[in-house]
Amino acid sequence: MFRITLCLICLSGIAFGKGRISFHADPVTENGSFVGPKIFYEKNPTSLTTDISVVVMTGGIDDPIDKLGLSNLVGEMILRGTKKKNREKFQSDLERMGASLSANVSLDTIQFSGSVIKENTSKFLALLEEALLKPAFSEKDFFELKREVLNDIKHIKNSNTRLGGLAARLEMFKGTPLEKPVMGSKSTVEKITLEDIQKKYNNSFDRPKIIFAAAAPFPESDMTESFSRIWRQFPDGVKPTKRLIIPKVPEKPTLIVVHKPKTSTGSLFFAQAGITIQDPERYTLNTGNFSFGGEPLVSRLFKTIRGELGWTYAIGSSYASIGGLSNQQGLYTISSTPSMEFTSKTIFKTLEMWRSYVNEGLSSEEMDLAKDSLVNSYPFEFESAAKRVSHKLSSFLYSIPILTPEEFAEKIGAISNRKLKAALKEKQKSEGWLIALVADKDVIAKDLEEYQKEIPKEQRLTISRIYTPDELVN
Amino acid sequence: MKKINLIGVTALFIFSYSVFSADYEKIADKKLFNGEIISEFKLTNGLKVIFLPRHEAKVLTFQTWFDIGSLNEKLDAKLKKTGLAHLFEHMMFRGTDKYPDGKFDEITSRIGSDKQNATTYFYRTNYYESIPSNQFKKLLELESDRMANLKLDSNILEKEKGAVVGELRRALDNPGRLAWDELNRTVYEVAPFRYTVLGTEEEIKGFTLEEAQYFYKTFYAPNNAAIIVVGDTNEAELMNLVVKFYGEMKPQEVPRYVMPEEPIQKKERKVEKTHAQATSDILLVGYRIPAVSSPDIVPISLLSTHLSTGMESRLRKALVDTGIAVGASCGVSNVPDYLEFSVSLAENHKADEALVIIDREIEKLKTQLIKKDQLERALNQELLSLYNGIEDNSSVASMLGDYLMISGNYMRGFEIIEQYKKVNPIDLKNMAKKYLKKEYRSVVVVKPQPKKSSRS
Repeated sequence: MFRITLCLICLSGIAFGKGRISFHADPVTENGSFVGPKIFYEKNPTSLTTDISVVVMTGGIDDPIDKLGLSNLVGEMILRGTKKKNREKFQSDLERMGASLSANVSLDTIQFSGSVIKENTSKFLALLEEALLKPAFSEKDFFELKREVLNDIKHIKNSNTRLGGLAARLEMFKGTPLEKPVMGSKSTVEKITLEDIQKKYNNSFDRPKIIFAAAAPFPESDMTESFSRIWRQFPDGVKPTKRLIIPKVPEKPTLIVVHKPKTSTGSLFFAQAGITIQDPERYTLNTGNFSFGGEPLVSRLFKTIRGELGWTYAIGSSYASIGGLSNQQGLYTISSTPSMEFTSKTIFKTLEMWRSYVNEGLSSEEMDLAKDSLVNSYPFEFESAAKRVSHKLSSFLYSIPILTPEEFAEKIGAISNRKLKAALKEKQKSEGWLIALVADKDVIAKDLEEYQKEIPKEQRLTISRIYTPDELVN
Repeated sequence: MKKINLIGVTALFIFSYSVFSADYEKIADKKLFNGEIISEFKLTNGLKVIFLPRHEAKVLTFQTWFDIGSLNEKLDAKLKKTGLAHLFEHMMFRGTDKYPDGKFDEITSRIGSDKQNATTYFYRTNYYESIPSNQFKKLLELESDRMANLKLDSNILEKEKGAVVGELRRALDNPGRLAWDELNRTVYEVAPFRYTVLGTEEEIKGFTLEEAQYFYKTFYAPNNAAIIVVGDTNEAELMNLVVKFYGEMKPQEVPRYVMPEEPIQKKERKVEKTHAQATSDILLVGYRIPAVSSPDIVPISLLSTHLSTGMESRLRKALVDTGIAVGASCGVSNVPDYLEFSVSLAENHKADEALVIIDREIEKLKTQLIKKDQLERALNQELLSLYNGIEDNSSVASMLGDYLMISGNYMRGFEIIEQYKKVNPIDLKNMAKKYLKKEYRSVVVVKPQPKKSSRS
């Protein structure tokens, strides 16, 4: 199923693939300007559903530091009833017509994504309009939602793979809205009041911040008319402003441990500064990362640490690990879950392989493979109407030019190892890793001590801090 | 836009016929509710081919399904243990004489493959990828080569065991996974569903090259496999290529096993475990239900949707909205056949609380008819799911392959949804009374380990 969601994961940027794939005959269209609604639409005559997305250009980055999670609660409260329909009636009407509607909050946006059986599109739009313009914001629903979100936050403690990410964020973004996920933490969510929700809604749901996107089997004019009607009812406002938060990167590899008892694997999360979605070197760095660790099965990390050494089931690297590429620099990360007895070895081997990559780049075979694969597989990003609309939407939100297939192939084709090494030197750190490990602290301490006996003191890793899971979600 | 309130799946027309060529037989063309035609073929060596053409984009999904999973190996006289089917799935990526270790992945990646991977389950193993359609010939060459000419190397087997042990340990660190393994062990006293697909660490480490060779030769035969293709090619091209690359393969004698008869459950079974990684309770409840081919599966499936799908589902309202759980669901499991209730409790709430609520909801189903609008909600949520899923080549290919493996009828998923329209509230009540009996269920609770006296 293809829902219209922001295409933030695709690091190659917004570009059509090489001309081996032809695209749908009906191009994505753009309507309006700042005096009218911004709408991205593609007619998909064969579709049995209508997919709609409404994006509000505010997100976790705008939340007050002591009330992180506010945008997330606003998004969810929009789905919990209207002035005319209580939550039960709203959800029942929605689901009975064969529709779904969800709110997804990122650092930059609150996105409402919906899908409905095509015959009920009009009814769905009417309900969406009511939800966006006349949300109920009832005390009872707010109480229940807050309780649900707090339960979700506490439940993260069950997930070893997520805890490593939380620890890294806390260390590298301390004191900024990025120190916690957009869902917030126990202490920040507890502070949010219904008045905060209403105020955030009043200040953020205005014309300049709202964008519409849809893929449906109907003429464009039908959809634009509905979207325009909704848009006109919002108040005037101001365009969102950008704010860039820079992560704090350690000078040398720094190990922190999140203690979970009796783990049979270590959940590893290496992090250093990443790049923004607009970074001019994103094509080069993505191509390099593909063969270093980004692509399972063929990457250097995978082939060595899993294929050759058999230390782990999974290992990979990514520029999009904290919610996808965005206006924020985010993190570049390497994740793995080696068996406990191989965890220390995996840490040191990964660091060794990273140093080699950051200094030497890729071999010519690795570079060719990455370039061929990226160019040949890119058309999958555009295989459906919903995906094409998503890319248009992201292009607008993040001011990224849309490349033609020829331009994209040319850009990838022009990447050389010399350019990659220069980009790595400029953007990445050879030693500046924060390594968050979720594991039994006593076992890993002993394992590290044993493993490092032969390593010179100045190169040894020590555990610089031990977190409990409670500390990370509080 | 049109305002049409009448919702329903249009009629399903089926044309069955046989067209013979020297190398294969066309079995049937089957028309889907959306007008698309699915074609079925069979090569003379027994290989099944299911094809759904689509030309919106010049891409296609290719899947290979083998009628072999952990059930077979446990019942096989020469193996009698589990884990090899899964370990072997890993080995299928580790090279042939023509394409040595690493080459398969390298070439498929280079030609632009998307979502390439493989999975193993109790009753089947599948391999899948999507590719630009102009690379179809190359892909078939690679796929058929590893199906016929895999080179099994003991050094590589030992390395791959490390990765698989890592996979097993990662699973064991997940309390939810432990709960599910326990549920299968509790529901089944005899049938090999009670043994995990991944096997034990001891079993994985103990597999020999000879066992792997036996497994490959015995089960990876064309008459034990099916190919599913959805996307941008045509019948002539497809069958020419399939015959060219797969036509020479020889059928094998594939052992068929009789599943040990599971004794009829006469009383409720309960198991409680602790897990060092868990920070809150997990509750799983399994009620034995009939196989997917049974007509009862239709109302049972709709019953599970009523209970589980959407914000208005009964379980969400009773367990999540009340703050007792962070997640609650109910779903039909085919092979093993049971209706599974799954609840992740919120901290400070206990599995017993959730079980009382599930019992209360089940009692309501047995004593009250669900309202017409609730039935309409369940039906339309199923349709939305179908309509969204069918647009994705990979999703529809997986649906066809999975139903082929569990029932021999790849159209069964569509048939079930088509038959939903005939279900009424009385059917749902009858199903609840017939199958959701305490004496037919197994209950598994996984709890956090009790905290020792404070030690940071």
